[in-house]
Amino acid sequence: MASAEAAGRSALNPIRALGRSTLAAVRMVGGVGVFAVRGTVAALTPPWFLGQLWRQFVAIGFFSLPVVGLTAVFTGAALALNIFTGGGRFNAEQVMPQIVALGITRELGPVLAALMLAGRVSAAIAAEIGAMRATEQIDAMRTLSTDPFRYLVGPRLLAGVLMLPILTAVADTIGVAGGWLVATRVLDFSSAVYIRNTLDFLQGWDVISGLIKAAVFGFIVALMGCYHGYNAKGGARGVGRATTHAVVSSAILIFASDYLLTTFFTHAAR
Amino acid sequence: MREQWAETAMGVVVLALTAGFLTYSLSVGGVHSKSGNYEISAKFGEAGSLAPGASVTVAGVKVGTVSKVVLEPKTYLAVAKLSMDPNVKLPADSTAKITSDGLLGGAHVAIAPGASLDDLKPGGEIENTQGAVDIFGLIGSVIRPQGGGAGGGAGGDAAAPANPATQPAESY
Repeated sequence: MASAEAAGRSALNPIRALGRSTLAAVRMVGGVGVFAVRGTVAALTPPWFLGQLWRQFVAIGFFSLPVVGLTAVFTGAALALNIFTGGGRFNAEQVMPQIVALGITRELGPVLAALMLAGRVSAAIAAEIGAMRATEQIDAMRTLSTDPFRYLVGPRLLAGVLMLPILTAVADTIGVAGGWLVATRVLDFSSAVYIRNTLDFLQGWDVISGLIKAAVFGFIVALMGCYHGYNAKGGARGVGRATTHAVVSSAILIFASDYLLTTFFTHAAR
Repeated sequence: MREQWAETAMGVVVLALTAGFLTYSLSVGGVHSKSGNYEISAKFGEAGSLAPGASVTVAGVKVGTVSKVVLEPKTYLAVAKLSMDPNVKLPADSTAKITSDGLLGGAHVAIAPGASLDDLKPGGEIENTQGAVDIFGLIGSVIRPQGGGAGGGAGGDAAAPANPATQPAESY
């Protein structure tokens, strides 16, 4: 009797596990959604903590410049070489500047800047807020009637949304510069022709759509860092898990939303 | 920021490099360098895939860009405005021809200099032109020599008529 019951339970276990994980997934989506709304409201309505905001602008924006610049210059250079090779297969090496410019501004600039930010900023935010959660500083903050959403989450979200487009503009410029360096030093392109081809070819929308993407990615990066840090459980290990989750989930969300946004922009442009 | 002086310096360096490259690009390819250019026009019977931004070459060297391609309503000719490098003076009887960059590349305007002693003046027009070759029309005329309006292609192009659309239509 007892063994039959145990067998029934173990037969049901996979289904139960499936249901449990589905529920957990749904709950997490809802949790992220509620968190995002609360964070956005805190970010957009006064009072603002201007000192915090400035600190986040510097930490997220300014200190990310070196890593974003390095990524962009090497990507632009490699992209130029690859497109030169590919274009050479049907005698179209000459379109290389245009394709490099298009690839960088529409896709690689925003995505690479966002990924570097996911590694650099999302993890840092999750670790910082996670540690505050583990040492109960967030509860202390609430006791002192300071809204942690206003003090911690809002400034980071604002900084992410406003700083990543600026970083992307830098990445676009430096990425094109990387392609230009390779083209002029290695592939014997004329410097002036390369730049003129790029500038004549690029349309405003190529750059602007990339910057819009970047703003969305910036929101994702900051949101994932805050969410996972805020909900960190269980001391030091929990903080470690929170940083990992923050980086992985923001990377996945960046790619997924990148595809969605690109689809939307492609249809909107018609 | 005080304790992170190395990162601060790197950030400043990156910003400076970006600004430097932007300034250089705008000085090379921007609006400023185009101000010295002069504009000439050329009429083509068939512009093909010629688009603004395409290059204008003499002997394979880029000397200008196509700034505009419009239809002249009265004659049904495509008028291409060419923005030319001021250092390049072209004889008045030069020939303009639309050719392809490569098999899949875009079209560009190749100019063969003439022998006239007078130069083309800014705002002038290149009278001798040859439009884009309709490759599919040519293929069609080879496969079915009698069929369709494109049939005249092979014979007509061999004679290389200037301004083909202004010539009286050949009847076969």
